[in-house]
Amino acid sequence: MKKKLMDILACPIDKYYPLELRVFEEKEEIIAGIITCPKCLRWYPIRDEIPEMLPDELRTEKDELIFLRKWKEKIPQKILLEGKPFNLKEKGKTG
Amino acid sequence: MKGTAGNHPQKEIKEFVRKRYGEIARTRRSCCGSSTRAHADAALSMGYSEEDLRNVPEASNMGLGCGNPTALASLKEGETVLDLGSGSGFDVFLAAKRVGPSGEVIGIDMTEEMVLKAKASASKYRYKNVEFRLGEIENLPIEDNSIDVIISNCVINLSPDKEKVFQEAYRVLKTGGRIMISDLVTEGELPESIRKSFDAWAGCVAGALEKNQYLTAIKRAGFKNVKIVSERTFSECCSQAQIKSVQVEAYKRTGRTKT
Repeated sequence: MKKKLMDILACPIDKYYPLELRVFEEKEEIIAGIITCPKCLRWYPIRDEIPEMLPDELRTEKDELIFLRKWKEKIPQKILLEGKPFNLKEKGKTG
Repeated sequence: MKGTAGNHPQKEIKEFVRKRYGEIARTRRSCCGSSTRAHADAALSMGYSEEDLRNVPEASNMGLGCGNPTALASLKEGETVLDLGSGSGFDVFLAAKRVGPSGEVIGIDMTEEMVLKAKASASKYRYKNVEFRLGEIENLPIEDNSIDVIISNCVINLSPDKEKVFQEAYRVLKTGGRIMISDLVTEGELPESIRKSFDAWAGCVAGALEKNQYLTAIKRAGFKNVKIVSERTFSECCSQAQIKSVQVEAYKRTGRTKT
């Protein structure tokens, strides 16, 4: 994903703009990162350069938790514990 | 999943369509001669030119869709274009040539395999002005008033909530912006047995609206100057109904008064 596309990116659920971007890996484009909505606390992963802006029901909890655990050092606590639709609160022991 | 299920909940339809197109992305490899040629022939019959085909990554033409060449022809240098249900990226790449380096084309698709495939083509051929996102056309991850043109090629019929798709399209368009979409509609009523079939849904048929209903849905979202710019018979479905492929143009005008 190119950084400048943040200019027109909004939360698909509440349409809030602007969203916040944290980059984990970057070459020419952002390879991995997280996009968060400060209003509803939903988070969206960027995996393999692709921002995944899906609504809750099309997301798979298992894959999303793997993503959160993989990058937990770089993800704000608030998202780790209160992020929607999935977070690591009370799930710390399972993984 | 069952073959038929009466009144399908939206979620079930969506999951079925998503799974089906994921399979298509995985299995329809275009590296084998015959199928590539067949896809090229299909694209030519939809009104794309040989030049169009030369100008895009071959893997992005999967022989899907009903063709949207008029929309592409209308694009201008510098425009920001959004493709609803961009699949493997065929129209996105063609649009990217049209809008040039000062423009931008964003493709949205809910099928991960399709987006990955499109992204791979974009990287391989070093397209600078395209962007693919995993997302849902009923819930666009796009800011209000930010897009000049929305294109879509035979995708909206797959959505179980078409009104929402058009409302979202209206929301993200700039004032003066337009939709130039191609889709399947019916003339006459489809038999119950077809409406109920998941397979027919994924094959773009069961979800197709009657032509007038389709145009009404666009108007109800707020669009003005709604018109069919071209239409042709896609298939004779059965005795009661015909499937038509239509290209529709509509504008977002000033003010939000709805018709």
